[in-house]
Amino acid sequence: MKVLVDGATASLETAAAAAARLLGEARLPLVAGLGTDVEGARAAISLAEKLRGAYDHMHSEILLRDIDVLRQAGQFVTTANETRVRADCVLLIGDDLTSVWPDLAARLNLTSPARFDDYNEPRKVFWLGPGKGEAASVGATEIAAPRSELPSLLAALRAEVAGRKIHKDSPLVRKIVEVAPALKAARFGVMIWSGESIGRLTIEMIHGLLLDLNKETRFSGLPVSSRANAMGVAQASGWMTGFPMRTGFCRGYPEHDIWRFEAGRLVESGEADAALWVSSYGNEAPKWKRHIPLIAIATPGTRFAYPPKIKIEVGTPGIDHDGVEFAQNLGSLASRDAQKPSEAPQAAAVLRLIEENLKKGEGAC
Amino acid sequence: MLIRLSGGRVIDPANGRDGIGDVWIRDDRIVESPQGESPDAVYDVTGKIVMAGAIDIHSHIAGGNVNTARLLLPEFHRAHRPRPPETPLSTAGWSTFETGCRYAAMGFTMVVEPAVMPHHALHAHLELADVPIIDKATLSVLGNDDFLLSLIRDGAGPAAIADYTAATLDATKGLGVKCINAGAAMAFKHNVRSFALDDVVPDYDVSSRTIVETLQQAVMDLGLAHPLHLHTNNLGLGGNVESAIATIEAARGKPLHLAHLQFYSYGAEGKRGFSSAAARLAEAVNSNPNVTVDVGQVMFRQTVTISLDIVRQYSAIDTASPKKTVIFDGDTNGAGIVPFNYRSNNFYNAVQWAAGLELFLLTNDPMRVFFTTDHPNGAPYTTYPDLFALIMSREERAKKLAELPEAAVELTTLPSITREYTFNEIAIMTRVAPAKILGLPDRGHLGPGALADVAVYNDDRDRAAMFRSAHLVFKDGDLVVREGRVTHYRFGRALKVNPSYDKTMDRKLKTYYDDLYGISPDLFKVPAAALGRENPFGEVACGR
Repeated sequence: MKVLVDGATASLETAAAAAARLLGEARLPLVAGLGTDVEGARAAISLAEKLRGAYDHMHSEILLRDIDVLRQAGQFVTTANETRVRADCVLLIGDDLTSVWPDLAARLNLTSPARFDDYNEPRKVFWLGPGKGEAASVGATEIAAPRSELPSLLAALRAEVAGRKIHKDSPLVRKIVEVAPALKAARFGVMIWSGESIGRLTIEMIHGLLLDLNKETRFSGLPVSSRANAMGVAQASGWMTGFPMRTGFCRGYPEHDIWRFEAGRLVESGEADAALWVSSYGNEAPKWKRHIPLIAIATPGTRFAYPPKIKIEVGTPGIDHDGVEFAQNLGSLASRDAQKPSEAPQAAAVLRLIEENLKKGEGAC
Repeated sequence: MLIRLSGGRVIDPANGRDGIGDVWIRDDRIVESPQGESPDAVYDVTGKIVMAGAIDIHSHIAGGNVNTARLLLPEFHRAHRPRPPETPLSTAGWSTFETGCRYAAMGFTMVVEPAVMPHHALHAHLELADVPIIDKATLSVLGNDDFLLSLIRDGAGPAAIADYTAATLDATKGLGVKCINAGAAMAFKHNVRSFALDDVVPDYDVSSRTIVETLQQAVMDLGLAHPLHLHTNNLGLGGNVESAIATIEAARGKPLHLAHLQFYSYGAEGKRGFSSAAARLAEAVNSNPNVTVDVGQVMFRQTVTISLDIVRQYSAIDTASPKKTVIFDGDTNGAGIVPFNYRSNNFYNAVQWAAGLELFLLTNDPMRVFFTTDHPNGAPYTTYPDLFALIMSREERAKKLAELPEAAVELTTLPSITREYTFNEIAIMTRVAPAKILGLPDRGHLGPGALADVAVYNDDRDRAAMFRSAHLVFKDGDLVVREGRVTHYRFGRALKVNPSYDKTMDRKLKTYYDDLYGISPDLFKVPAAALGRENPFGEVACGR
C-alpha cells in the first residue's frame, strides 16, 4: 500500500498531517467520493464537520431519486427475504437491475414458488423494460420497452389498476395493461426497481400504484440500492446530521441542499478549493474537470485525471478488513467479515488520523 | 477523584432520603461521606435539588425506522445554531448527538430504545454508539416472526421457546423482549387489516393472546428482570379500553409491562364514539400489581409516529400530516412511519392529552407508572419538562384545560383531579422504578455503591424550566452538564443481558435460515468491533 505526498513516498503520519494542513487552509473543503463502509462514513462526516466543509457521495444522484420520492410522497417497501419467501407476483421495472444487484436471481429465487404462499403456485413474474437476457435469468415474462417509455407505461398501468379509462392505441400500452389483473390478484406482490434506470417521477408513479393496489390486496416495493455503499453512507449521514449526503457545514451546522452541495458543481464553480476523495471499493476517480488540490484515499490502481497532491492507498471493506455496509441481499446494515485480511489501512482510520491532525478549534470557512 | 456535592436537597426515595445533605462521589461511584479526607472538588448546591440520573424506559431514539423518519421529514429538523466547539453535531436537529445532549441536559443518564427488529439490531446499535453521554439499552422485538410462530404451532414447548428468545437476545444484544401487536404484522402480510387479542394468525392458527402468553412465559423462564414489554392490540381506536383491560386480564397475574397505555384508554362515549376511559383503566392497573405501565403522553405539537404496529400505521395513512408515509413490510416484522400534528383544538387530540394525564394522576403507585411520551409518537422527549410541570401542578393543567374544546373536556375526569406529583414521587417514577424494572440495582438511587449518575436541578418555581436545563449532571462521576449545556462528550454503553441457552438452538436457526432464506443468521450479528467505540456493551445479570 502506497502513501505519496507530491508524488514522493511518505509515511502515513506525514501524509495525514499534510492532508490536514491542505484541508484546514481551504476556504471550502469538499469530502467526496465516500465509497466507504459505515465506519468510514462516520469518520468522513465527522471530518467534514470539523472542517466546516461539505460532503457528497459519488452515487448520490442515483440514491437521491429514491430519497426525494420518500420525502415528497413516502415509501412502501419490503426486503429481499420477504420477496423470496412470500411474493407470489413480482414486477421488475427497468434495465440493469442485475448489474446493480448481481445476486438478484439467486437471492430472490423467483423460479420456485414462494415458501409462504398459501397456494404454492408458480410465481407470476413480469419484467418491464429489462436489459438483454435479464428477464430470462429470473424466468420473467418480458415486456420489452425503452427507458423513455417507462413513465407513461407505468402511468397506464396505474390507471388500468384504478379502473380509469385510458387510450390503448399503442401496442406497448396494450401489453402492459394486460399485467393489471395479475397485480390485482396478487396475494403478496412486489415491485422491484432501481434509481439507476428510472427517474423520480417514475418512482413516484410506482409508489402511487403500490398505494392503490394495497386498497384491496397486499403489494410492496423493493428498491435496488446503488453502488459503493451509497445507502449505508446515507444511513450514517441520516443519524449524524438528520440529512442524507450533499450536506454542508459552512454555517457551523448541517444544511442539506442537493444542488448546492453537489460535489461536481462545487468543484467546477470554484466554490470548493480543496477536495478529499474516498474510494475504497472500485477504482473510481472524480469526474470533475477543474484541477483543485486533491487528496485521494483510494484503492491501489485508481487512475486519476490529474495527480493528487496526497495519495493514500487503502483496503476494501469486506475484503481487506471487516466493514459494515448496507446489504441489498438483507435489506439492512450488516457487518461483512474480511475475505482476505490484510495490512492495508482502513479509510476510516486514515480519515480519523487527518482529523486528529487538524488544529483544535474551528475549521476553515 | 473525590467530589462533594454540598448542601443540596437530596431526594433519594430508594434510600428513604429527602432532606438537606451532601452526596459524595469517588470516581464513578457514590460513596459514604469519607472520614478525614478532603474532596478534590466541592460543588455548593445549596438550594438545589439533587437526584439520581433519570432513566427513560421507552423512547424511540435509534434504528432503521427512526432514521427513515429523519429522511422522510427534512423540513422538521433543520439546525439553526452552530455547535459549541467541544460537542460536534450537538445542534444538528434530531441527530443521535443532539439526542444524547438534550437528554443529558434534562438530567437523564439512560434511555431504552424499545423496538429493535432483530434483523436490524446492528443498525440500532450503530446509532446508539453515536448517542453521547447517556447509557442505552434495547428491547428486541418478537411475536410476528415465522420461527416463533412455527414453534408455537408445532407445540415445541416452553424450553425451546426460551432458548429461541435467549438466542435472539444474544444475537441482537438486547436487554429485554418487546412484543408489538402480536401476530398482526404477520397477519397483515396475509391482507388482514385489523387484529385483536383473540384473532388468529393465518397459516399458524395461533392467536395474539397465545403469542403474548408464550413470550411472557419465556421472559420469566429466562429470569429477565424486565417483564415482557407489550404493545397490545387496537391502539388508538375508540372503545379500545376493552382491549387494554382484556390484556391485563390475559396476564393472569404474571409480570407484564403495558407500553404507552394512554393510546388504549379510550371509551366509546359521546357523539363521536371517543371518550376518555382512563379512570377505569387506571383502576384496573391499580388492582393488578403484576402490571406496570408507561403512559405515552400526547403533547400538542407536530411530531411523527414511528411504530412496528404496521396494521395500525397503515390504517392511519389518511391522517398523515404532512401527507407522506412509510410502510415497511420488514423481515418477520412490519413498520409504519406517519407524521402527525396533535392540535389542542382537535377533539380527539384533546381527549388523548387529558387521558394521559388522568393515567398519571389516577395510578396510585409511582413504582408502576412510567414517565413517557412514547417519543416521538405522543410527543418528542423534548416536551418532558412541560409534562413534569403538568403533573406537578393543578394550576398548570387548569390553564391548558381552558384552551381545549369543552366537548372533549366533558368526556374526561381531568378537571376534577387535584393530585400534584411531589419531587419524591417524580424521583420514584423516573429513577427508582425504571432501575428496578430494568434490573439495574446500582442505578436510580444515591446510596453508597450506586453508579455516580447524578442530576442537580435549580429549584425553580417554573418546573418546566427546572427540568429543561439541569444545573449540573454527572455521568459515571464525570461532570458533563452545566446549566443545561453539555461541556464535553463521553460515550456510554448499551446494557444487555446474556442468558445461557441450549446452543443446539443456534444450529436449528442456521438450518432454518439456510433452508428458508438461503443465508446464515450470522449475517445479522452485532459484533462489538463494528460499533467503533471502546466497550460498547455492559452486561446486566439475569436468572440464567
